[in-house]
Amino acid sequence: MEEQLMTIKNEALSLILDAGDIKTLEEVKLQFLGRSGKLTLALKDIVNVPLLQRAEIGQLINEVKQSVEEAIDRQGEMLKNKRLEKKRESIDVTNPGIKPPSGHIHLVTHAINEITAIFEKIGFTRVRYPEVEWDWYAFTALNFPENHPARDDWETFFTTEDVDSKKGSIILTPHTSNGQIREMQRVVKEQKGKGDISIRMLNIAKTYRRQSDVSHTQMFHQFEGLVVGKDISIVHLKGTLDYFVKSFFGENREIRLRPYHFQFTEPSFELDINCGVCLGKGCKLCKAGWLELGGAGIVHPNVLTFGGVDPKIYSGFAFGFGPERCMMMKEGLEIDDLRLLYSNKLEFLTQF
Amino acid sequence: MDIKILDSWLREHLETNAKPKDIAKAMSLTSASIERVEPYGSDFVYSAEITTNRVDMASVCGVAREAATVLPHFGFSAKVLPLKLTAVKNENKENVPLTIKVDEKLVNRICGVVLEVKKGESPQFIKERLEAAGIRSLNNLIDVTNYVMLEIGHPSHAFDYDRLKHHTLIIRESKKGETIVTLDKKQHTLPGGDIVADNGEGEIVDLLGVMGTDNSVVTDKTTRILFFFDNNDPWRIRKTSMGLAIRTEAAALNEKGVDPELALEALQRGVALYKEIADAKIISDVVDIYPHKPAVHIIKVTSATMQRIIGVEVPLKTSVSILESLGFATNASGDTLMVTVPTWRERDVEIEEDVVEEVARIYGYHNIPTALPPFTQALPYHQNQNPFYWETRMKEALKDWGLTEVYTYSMVSETMFEGPLENAITLKNPLDMDHVYLRKTLTPSLLQVIAENKSYDSVQIFEIANTYHKRKNDLPEEIRKLGIVLKGKSETFYHAKGLVEAVTEEMGIRHVTFRDTEVGGIGASVYRDNTHIGDIEVMDEQLVTIEINFDELLAHANMKKTFTPLPKYPPVTEDISLVVENNVKTGDIMDAVKKTNPLIKDVELLDIYGNTRTFHIVYLDRTKNLTTEEVGKVREEIIDNLSKKFAAKVK
Repeated sequence: MEEQLMTIKNEALSLILDAGDIKTLEEVKLQFLGRSGKLTLALKDIVNVPLLQRAEIGQLINEVKQSVEEAIDRQGEMLKNKRLEKKRESIDVTNPGIKPPSGHIHLVTHAINEITAIFEKIGFTRVRYPEVEWDWYAFTALNFPENHPARDDWETFFTTEDVDSKKGSIILTPHTSNGQIREMQRVVKEQKGKGDISIRMLNIAKTYRRQSDVSHTQMFHQFEGLVVGKDISIVHLKGTLDYFVKSFFGENREIRLRPYHFQFTEPSFELDINCGVCLGKGCKLCKAGWLELGGAGIVHPNVLTFGGVDPKIYSGFAFGFGPERCMMMKEGLEIDDLRLLYSNKLEFLTQF
Repeated sequence: MDIKILDSWLREHLETNAKPKDIAKAMSLTSASIERVEPYGSDFVYSAEITTNRVDMASVCGVAREAATVLPHFGFSAKVLPLKLTAVKNENKENVPLTIKVDEKLVNRICGVVLEVKKGESPQFIKERLEAAGIRSLNNLIDVTNYVMLEIGHPSHAFDYDRLKHHTLIIRESKKGETIVTLDKKQHTLPGGDIVADNGEGEIVDLLGVMGTDNSVVTDKTTRILFFFDNNDPWRIRKTSMGLAIRTEAAALNEKGVDPELALEALQRGVALYKEIADAKIISDVVDIYPHKPAVHIIKVTSATMQRIIGVEVPLKTSVSILESLGFATNASGDTLMVTVPTWRERDVEIEEDVVEEVARIYGYHNIPTALPPFTQALPYHQNQNPFYWETRMKEALKDWGLTEVYTYSMVSETMFEGPLENAITLKNPLDMDHVYLRKTLTPSLLQVIAENKSYDSVQIFEIANTYHKRKNDLPEEIRKLGIVLKGKSETFYHAKGLVEAVTEEMGIRHVTFRDTEVGGIGASVYRDNTHIGDIEVMDEQLVTIEINFDELLAHANMKKTFTPLPKYPPVTEDISLVVENNVKTGDIMDAVKKTNPLIKDVELLDIYGNTRTFHIVYLDRTKNLTTEEVGKVREEIIDNLSKKFAAKVK
């Protein structure tokens, strides 16, 4: 029996070493270790071994089996390496790779995602409100007088829908500021009897104005921030916008506020950031050292009142910027015609 | 509005040691933005942006007043040099006839005087100052009106006195359809409600506040002029100016509400100039009709409000000094200020917050510190209920599956609107005919993108956007949709279906089924349970569209994960090839297989070849090892079941 086992072992080892490819090796494996392989049968044969020697022989069979398995693994490794070696010779590392499918996200979405992430870090929550809206939410409640130019039909798109006696015409939102009123109304309703009003809203939506040229498209986007609480002041407005600018444009950028005029804020500001090239000294690119980013201000008490918030108890600030403009102020994205963003030329879209 | 003024002119009204660049910077940070200061010969020219509420600053004197307030806060000396004006008195023995009648509904103030003049060229300094401001010098008679407007901020007009029949002006509303020829020789038909001057015979001789008319302006023969200041209802001025597309400097000022107190001052200044450069003689009394004086506002401001808005304490003394230098009168008592608003700010400063803004801006926004708002509350956050999370995630997934995102317009043309036009939210004042109706579907817009990118054989695009659905007596319902178009793949339908399956699986949505299309054409309708949530439509062999209600997907999106214990016993798998008629649906076969026996864990279609379909079947018993006999029995059941239901034969 022992002899027989040694013969099997030697035969196996020599066949294994002779196996020149994986397929032959598999056959050898089957021949010895398969269901009716020689070693398997030998193991079955153990019943014929006298009882006293059985343990010893059993152990021997296992040792043989183990060394055959090891030899097969070794030879397998060796064959694989050999095959790989051939592969090395056939690879041209300068040939193009085979990529997974790859599409493209629109630049506006890139901007919206980045802006959202920045404001979420400081506790803002994104909301969505109507883009086709009652005049009341877009103008009246935002303190626009009846005769204000923005309400002219050469600036704002009106629909032919019936005019509501209280809420006025149905229009396309010329800004995202209707979200201020809707958010205040929502929070006031939800918080009734529960505690203080605290709002940190980020409203990003499509907006529409009757303009089309290199820097205007009749549809565009805005992102609107609204913070309402107790003792909210210009200090907090500056802190929030500074955080945004440093996050979005870089830590070496500074902001400044210039006095401006909006109906729904008082005081009102225009926010500038210093030029990324000269950092505010003035250069060929920016002229005065500063670039205009958008509008902001302390929420007008009439607007708080229209939103259902008591201006004697609460104050707030708001801002509204264009994600398109912010994106195009980033280095490397100086797109000279805004209309390109909505032209859907694939040569353009697949760049991003 | 933007105005341009020369540094030398400004310094006639402002004494300061600040250089032009200093003035621009200080003004930009605290007052009107001076976007540029550029050399102009030996002089400098400022370009200032004046916001609509600060028409009081749209003049040399207005800027000088603000600069004198602002500059000392930046360490410069500055003071206003007031104009020396004298009262205008008739120098003629007799008063020449002049009748002006006004409709008080339209007019705040009218001032006028008749002058005998010599027409000619203006001196160099006037020409230069006008031209630097972007206004062409014409002759001394016209130039004075523009010069006074730029210097003091009130527009005016010079009529040829002798061309006004009866020397009469009746200021009235225009009637719809009346026609005029403006001084630029263009004919206009008036919409009605415009403010016009009638010569007493029904003929219109001026479009007030906007532009003069050809029948009354000065000519080469002019020897006598009516020098005329009109201050009217700003809203009507804007309506006329925008409606007729006549955008003059005068209209840009008048539509914002000029301080009527300036009119007489400006008239005096103008007369002095006419005397200087046109040998003028005053031959009438001054007419001054003033039905609407600016209201006097007194506003109460507390230091508590001041601090609450600004965020830091500004000493009351500082506030008083700032306000006084801007022309406000103040009366302090304890922590309270009573502030009287000057006439030139009457339309602009109305409430406490307006006064706070005046203090804050001059104090300097750059002097206010920076801090994030205190974070006191936050609602619990549930990511699975956050539509923005899902939208971003799905956009990323679609991108990773090879699709490119597009943004198309919400408004479409008549041909691109799907469905009857009476269902469309329609723009009353579209900018062009390609953007008139608010879309109910995304597909036509996406197909247009495909059409506009003809040179691409293989294109996969998507968009997630709102669609607008008319409702009675309410805002339209805004439904977010996911639109996809695939071009250039063979087996387009199955690619599209696979994409819909991938989307719903990624969002954790179950019970999604595909049924024969209900919208006509070739394709499928997509259901979640029994709700129709979208459609796949095959346009041609290489083009397929998908439109799915994304709000429905959001409503059922699910992040919940469930754990099934790993089977202790191995599954048995086998492939069965069946010959069936082509009209038998694979879905029905798979349903039938699954329902045959609980031991069947899974069925997949492996392959279709001719009339043969091969299914991969997984058998599993969680309680024990399956024997060949047991599997065989179930297989028999399957085959029996399928041959009865679908006349299927095992191959």
